[in-house]
Amino acid sequence: MQGIVATSLIGISLGAQYALLALGFTLIFGILGVVNFAHGGFYVLGGYIAYSAISFLGMPYALAVITAALGTAALGYLFERFLLDRLIDDHLATLMLTLGLYMMISSGILITFGPQSPAFAFPLTGVLRAYGFYVPIENLVVLAVCVAGIVSIYALIYRTDFGRALRALADDRAVATAQGLRPKVLFPTAFALATGLAGLTGALVTPILSLAPHVGDPVLATSFLIVILGGLGSVGGATVAAFLVGMVEAFSAVYLGGSKGALALFVLVLIMLVVKPSGLFGQRARGA
Amino acid sequence: MTVYQGGLLEVTSVRKRFGGLHVFNDISFTIPPGEVLGIIGPNGAGKTTLINVICGMLAPSAGSVRLDGREMTGMPLHAVSRAGIIRSFQQTNTFRAATVRENISRAVRFSGGGEDTWATIAPLVDEFELYPQLDEQSDKLPYGLQKMLGLILAFAVRPKVLLLDEPAAGLERRERMRVDSFVRHAQTQLGCGVLIVEHDMDLVRRLCPKILVLDSGRVLAEGTPDDVLSRKDVIDAYLGTADEEAA
Repeated sequence: MQGIVATSLIGISLGAQYALLALGFTLIFGILGVVNFAHGGFYVLGGYIAYSAISFLGMPYALAVITAALGTAALGYLFERFLLDRLIDDHLATLMLTLGLYMMISSGILITFGPQSPAFAFPLTGVLRAYGFYVPIENLVVLAVCVAGIVSIYALIYRTDFGRALRALADDRAVATAQGLRPKVLFPTAFALATGLAGLTGALVTPILSLAPHVGDPVLATSFLIVILGGLGSVGGATVAAFLVGMVEAFSAVYLGGSKGALALFVLVLIMLVVKPSGLFGQRARGA
Repeated sequence: MTVYQGGLLEVTSVRKRFGGLHVFNDISFTIPPGEVLGIIGPNGAGKTTLINVICGMLAPSAGSVRLDGREMTGMPLHAVSRAGIIRSFQQTNTFRAATVRENISRAVRFSGGGEDTWATIAPLVDEFELYPQLDEQSDKLPYGLQKMLGLILAFAVRPKVLLLDEPAAGLERRERMRVDSFVRHAQTQLGCGVLIVEHDMDLVRRLCPKILVLDSGRVLAEGTPDDVLSRKDVIDAYLGTADEEAA
């Protein structure tokens, strides 16, 4: 029983990280209709910005995480405003642009920092012991920040006029614009929000997992799986699917062995695609 | 209670062409506050393109669009909308994934409206029998109610000028009468000018004291419905000539 609870805690912690990451990914698809291949790149960049801020500028970790989130948000804003926005309705062009940006980020990091993982450790260590359970403190801190981030995003999307405007643009851009909303202001802001979330997650998680130029690849793949599982563009679906994926990964890693976690995940997505192609909370395809 | 005042729409020598294709040439008209102008013409005459140009979805190739003397020409859709020119679409123009209540709430909030705006909308919601459907997702409504909701959304933004693109298309006879109510309500509550592009001649006769006929991108006729609709060239443009039928 203790093993199941402990594994569940790991799953919840993983799920919260994935949710924060996938929310940005699904927001960009839902609002802009863009599949952001650079999302994993912003995750890695967030990690390296935080690492650099601590190592070279001597910032405290918390400030470094905020700097990483703001830095990746700023880059995302500029990228959408000056490049992506010009080709926003050309799906192939946006795909190539975001893929190109991802390659530039990865290559830039590789050239600047080299291929080896830098020494980037979480500032808090130790284990919390309670009721016979042992939970690493770093996991608890990350879980708390991720949950706070998810709640904040939900409040922003569902409780503010900014969120209403974003949802309106996601529903129907022409109608929303005809009512006076400005995509040229809202799109880059939404993009910045999403890339800022990726950067925040990267800064939080890479000290625990690993930081290297290529760690964005599995992050991008997992984001894809979560968004497909939850339903393209669905904020609620992405959140539920992220926790589901976290649980599947945790339980399969513990009970089936490490390498079978990814296999279990792909099987889950395959079953979903056969049974309900639109995903858990997905509606009809965009433009259908 | 806020008193709304419509605006004067001036369309002057507007042209639109796509490459070598001239959609329309030298279209000019004005719509004073509270007035209704009908634009009719066969399919392909350029009516919807004209609305697209006025509302900012397309930039004109020449000419100008002014609202209360302020230049609107070439301004983007959102800016023209914020200035007070609001359009409806031929198909439904609702947020499909949102409920009826959320649809209206968005339109009111986006335009900075408040309780007084809701008060002016309430009679329309009641007349269109949308109250029982307030928590229904809008794309689950029957087509006629979706179109009515689209009109309410256009009204909720408190326009100075309304551009209605075939508001009666696809509606049953009883539902078409609701378009009349809507236009009268917009006139009395907002004082706004209304441009109606429509194929339903009964509706045009009821609502429009003045109409303008477009044919092949030019103004074929202009005047009262009785005068214009009795002209042979207008009838020919709409129904085709005897020679064309024989061919």
